[in-house]
Amino acid sequence: MPSVTEFRLDAELAGFVTGGVTVIAASRDAGNCPNLVRARGCRVSPDGRRVTVFLDGPQSTSLLADWRANGRVAVVFTRPSTHRSVQLKGRDAAIEPLAEGDHAIVARYRDLLAEELATIGYGHGFTAALLAADHDALVALSFTPEAAFSQTPGPGAGAPLTR
Amino acid sequence: MSPTLDAIRECLEGAVPAVIATCAPDGTPNVAYLSQVEYVDSVHVALSFQFFNKTRENILANPQARLLLTHPATAQMYRMSLEYLRTETAGPLFERMKAKLAGIASHTGMSGVFRLLGADIYRLLTIEQLSAQPLPAPAPRLSLLSALRVAVEKLNACSDLASLLEQTLDCLATEFDIPQALLLMADVGRERLYTVASRGYENSGVGAEIGYGEGVIGVAARERTPIRIGHMTAEYSYGRAIREAAARGGLAERLESEIPLPGLPESRSQLAVPILARGHLLGVLYVESPQDLRFSYDDEDALVVLAAQLGLHMCALQEAAETPEPAPDSDPARAPAQGRRATVRYYAENSSVFLDGDYLIKGVAGSILWTLLQDYVNGGRASFTNRELRVDPRIRLPDLSDNLEARLILLERRLVERDACVRIEKTGRGRFRLAVSRPLELISTGAD
Repeated sequence: MPSVTEFRLDAELAGFVTGGVTVIAASRDAGNCPNLVRARGCRVSPDGRRVTVFLDGPQSTSLLADWRANGRVAVVFTRPSTHRSVQLKGRDAAIEPLAEGDHAIVARYRDLLAEELATIGYGHGFTAALLAADHDALVALSFTPEAAFSQTPGPGAGAPLTR
Repeated sequence: MSPTLDAIRECLEGAVPAVIATCAPDGTPNVAYLSQVEYVDSVHVALSFQFFNKTRENILANPQARLLLTHPATAQMYRMSLEYLRTETAGPLFERMKAKLAGIASHTGMSGVFRLLGADIYRLLTIEQLSAQPLPAPAPRLSLLSALRVAVEKLNACSDLASLLEQTLDCLATEFDIPQALLLMADVGRERLYTVASRGYENSGVGAEIGYGEGVIGVAARERTPIRIGHMTAEYSYGRAIREAAARGGLAERLESEIPLPGLPESRSQLAVPILARGHLLGVLYVESPQDLRFSYDDEDALVVLAAQLGLHMCALQEAAETPEPAPDSDPARAPAQGRRATVRYYAENSSVFLDGDYLIKGVAGSILWTLLQDYVNGGRASFTNRELRVDPRIRLPDLSDNLEARLILLERRLVERDACVRIEKTGRGRFRLAVSRPLELISTGAD
């Protein structure tokens, strides 16, 4: 078992993961069967040690059960226009109620991603449909990143990021 | 009810990239974007394997995977559970994916980075439609089934190969809204394709050739599988393939390059469908468009069916053409050849024919023309049948299945396009006559 380490996001990386990037979160069940869902934005704690992603509850039912059972999580953040891609992994994923201001983060995220996707030809309506979720159905998933990997396409994909 | 894979194939086109989740044996999940998901059949997909990355490592140890797919127009998302089965590194599926990946790489600025190492085949276990508020689906641009029905009826009514070829191109333009198309026939012995008809280009390109394996068209012929690319890529451009072949080769290749294959300067979508019948490759139907992602899986299905119909008709009409109709009662009187004498030069090396120093044709069509002209000049003959050409030892048809009628159509069109003083005129099924408007001098170079 590797020693539990923390990966602290610096300001640049925190800016990247909370910007106009696509966010996909993955879980796995007791039989190591993986699952994944599109997230509705992200926030990073001021010290860069805790990452929270927002999910549509109805789309995430089985993933939420996985996280409750084992806490193992992987989240990939990708900027479509540049393909820059970073994956964070953790083992302490926990489902939390939304904090004050989180709905504003989700709304701002939708605008940022709409702007980003507009640069590659997708209308705002498409992004709105992609990220549509009922206000009350949003859940927050928080975890402590233990490792981060560059996933930008190419032979260097998968290389760990240094802190 | 969960949707079938066939019903959501648009999600595999890559307009919105698919995402894959896998899990390591130690229970660490991994999530990554995929370059390409290829439809194999209603219960299998193939994913592109390009790098030895975490996804690859995981699926070899734990074959369970899940994909997140997004509909490019409605934003509806689907989750697909998959089980990894095996990897293919050659063959039709691999070549289809390799060609498509070249287009994707070029479109995303990843040329030189993306290279297909294998086609990872997965069994589809489940498809889950996620709760969503999707956009309304756009109306289809046309009904492919009704276009196909009209086209099939029109092909059924054709009584000779020339009208079959024209009708096919007409239908592509009018019924399928595909104005740019080429029809190429296979020269099986030489593993080359020659253009016999085209539509929508400045130059017809009739007679232009391409080798098996070169560009989208050549790969479709060699692998006998449709090749479909949704973005512009230099790697599969047949123009480039031909230029390279010409740079490498000798006289034969230089002659081929004298008739350039027509093509759109900025071709963004390409689809080449092999024309197969009774287990033989007869040719290739090729369409292209200046739009990205113009041809869908459904377009491919429709053109595969159209090409199958075309192939069966080609076979039937070929057989008919070699059973000539009785000769007409009397040949119409022909005007005597007059004016300046034309020089016809024949090079036995590659059966090429030059008229007054200009390249006209080569190969089988070249030796057919030379044979006809010899009989015309030396024996005063002007009427011929396909059947006698088939058995003429001077022509050396490469294969019994070779489409002689297609060679004659090619020859007839080249003569018209070059405004030659020699023409081929059909006088009935399986018969034709040579019409010569100037006196001819025949010069043969090399062993005949």
